[in-house]
Amino acid sequence: MAAETATKEKEPLLAFGKKERTLLTDPLNDNNPITVQVLGICSALAVTSLVVPSVVMAIAVIFVCAFSSLFTSLLRNYIPKQVRMIVQLVIIATLVTVVELTLRYLNFPIYKQLSVYIGLIITNCIVMGRLEAFAMANKPWRSFLDGVGNGLGYGAILVMVAVIRELFGKGSLFAGSGIEMKIIGANAGYWINTTENAWFGWYANNNLMVLPAAAMFIIGILIWIQRSYNEKLVDIS
Amino acid sequence: MNSTRYVLIFVLTLTAVVAVMLTSLREATKTQAALNEEIFDKRAILKAVEDHLSGGAEVDDLSDDEVLSIFESNFEQSVIDPSGEIVDGMKAEDIDMAKEKKKPEEERVYPLYVYSPDESSDKFYIVSVRGNGLWDEIWGNIAFEEDLNTITGATFDHKGETPGLGAEIKDNPAFSADFKGTKIYRDGEYVSVTVRKGGARNETYEVDGISGATVTADGVTAMLYSGIKKYEPYFDKIRKK
Amino acid sequence: MGEFFNIFIKAAFIENLVLAYFLGMCSYLAVSKTVKTAFGLGLAVIFVLGITMPINWLIQENLLSEGGLLGMDLTFLRLILFIAVIASMVQLVEMVVEKYSPSLYNALGIFLPLITVNCAILGGSLFMVSREYNLTESVAFGLGGGFGWFLAIIAIAAIREKIRYSNVPAPLRGLGMAFIITGLMGIAFMSLMGIDPAAFASN
Repeated sequence: MAAETATKEKEPLLAFGKKERTLLTDPLNDNNPITVQVLGICSALAVTSLVVPSVVMAIAVIFVCAFSSLFTSLLRNYIPKQVRMIVQLVIIATLVTVVELTLRYLNFPIYKQLSVYIGLIITNCIVMGRLEAFAMANKPWRSFLDGVGNGLGYGAILVMVAVIRELFGKGSLFAGSGIEMKIIGANAGYWINTTENAWFGWYANNNLMVLPAAAMFIIGILIWIQRSYNEKLVDIS
Repeated sequence: MNSTRYVLIFVLTLTAVVAVMLTSLREATKTQAALNEEIFDKRAILKAVEDHLSGGAEVDDLSDDEVLSIFESNFEQSVIDPSGEIVDGMKAEDIDMAKEKKKPEEERVYPLYVYSPDESSDKFYIVSVRGNGLWDEIWGNIAFEEDLNTITGATFDHKGETPGLGAEIKDNPAFSADFKGTKIYRDGEYVSVTVRKGGARNETYEVDGISGATVTADGVTAMLYSGIKKYEPYFDKIRKK
Repeated sequence: MGEFFNIFIKAAFIENLVLAYFLGMCSYLAVSKTVKTAFGLGLAVIFVLGITMPINWLIQENLLSEGGLLGMDLTFLRLILFIAVIASMVQLVEMVVEKYSPSLYNALGIFLPLITVNCAILGGSLFMVSREYNLTESVAFGLGGGFGWFLAIIAIAAIREKIRYSNVPAPLRGLGMAFIITGLMGIAFMSLMGIDPAAFASN
């Protein structure tokens, strides 16, 4: 009898209950890394002028965040406090280098595309922030989910900002990939050609949108919208 | 708090594990990675003369073997020194521009590729240039027509420019396409090609800049000016012939 | 000395890491609620930037470059080594702050260890390499960059303290407003870009 209760209390290794689900969904809204935790802003400013790099960056961050959380959590009881930051960074950097070397071996053009982001991933505060705040104190499976969730929350904001910036800054979407869509602009080939269409003759791409400052405004407005719906986030002070 | 000894042992073990892991992975993938890189670089050089490829082929459609065979049959590779003389016994593809950049100027050598298409007797001269962008190094291949003045194509690459901004020098085909037809001499005087913020004013000597990437664009201008200048002694010799 | 001063001024005002290049944003936005904590973090950043820059310069010149001690081109290790130096310096700062000012330590919270991944610091080191500074210039750049970061965070903290008494729509209060103010400050700083202090000195 006693043995039975013991096994019941011991959670299965890969349980996926309510708690685990919140780990994934919380960062999408209530605990969003960018708009609530204020992490990963620099890279959000750097890559969001186009949609494609933002998607690539989001995938890379989900991957690195999830697995570095997993490994840090596995090692959490052995990491000495005095050197924990270096250890965390070694884990992140090793993970990134493994991906880099593998891609170099398998597909060089994709490696070239990604190598630019490597510095941005290592210095992305979301990864280290989640290691400090969650993985150092939680079990591996939950840490892994927390990493995935935060990566997703980060990616959602990134893509939203990128869509606005690319559409109004360059008049296109997904530029630089096979599915490039030219929406509005002065040349033939755009869906709305502003030189031919008399109604849109006044339209010009907004160069402000290309600058990093535009990302600040857009994120500021996204925070405004999010907090209008989600009143518990409103900052009273 | 853990004892100093534990900390030391932990750090050393971790470093050793990581070092062994990364080094063995690097060694295992080294040869294939080097070959991949060679093909990637050669594609970039071919891209500079894409307009003149046999049968109007596009570089992206060529297979790796086709790229290597074009290099074997249609390319002449040489290495030139600062006085414009060809250095004997060296191949252009063996030159590492990053290493050359660190040497004193008199000792540097520069790679030069000459492409001659199958159908015509034209010759295209492709030079390599290297400079600094916002974050790290940028480089490019510039192809000249036989007059050694008109640029017929250019490709650029970079190590770590901002995606969507500085990285556009590589990712945006419109930027490199803009170089086609530009000239580096104005009335016999060397002027190179300038990347102009806010749009080119003179389409023969200037190309449109990239909004939001002024530092990278200025880096390209500086790189072109000093990089192409290095080939001037050689160009002068060819012209006299 | 003149060159030292030029680079300092340029790094602090004209090419301000926060307002011109938008680096080091996370801690800048999160810890700028009050001038007091902003002041503490600003000092920490000046210290870390000022000290990691020359150390990283020495590593770059003597260890990583081909003419260095090992005689090999090890630049692929640059990122990892630079960040390891930064991490150890930050760890040092953390221990000092924890010991001498526990209240500041608590106020900074997670953002103190996160200076490690503050892009301004790694970015500063990468700028230093790509601009080929020498040792004194890199010290000037580190101190100037840190001072610029310090000034920027003090400025926004002061604005945020004042704006608390303004009638900002509730959902925009705090963080949302901070983003928009930073964007505006960045646009204002764009007008300084391209000024060359050396040109004034020679005239």
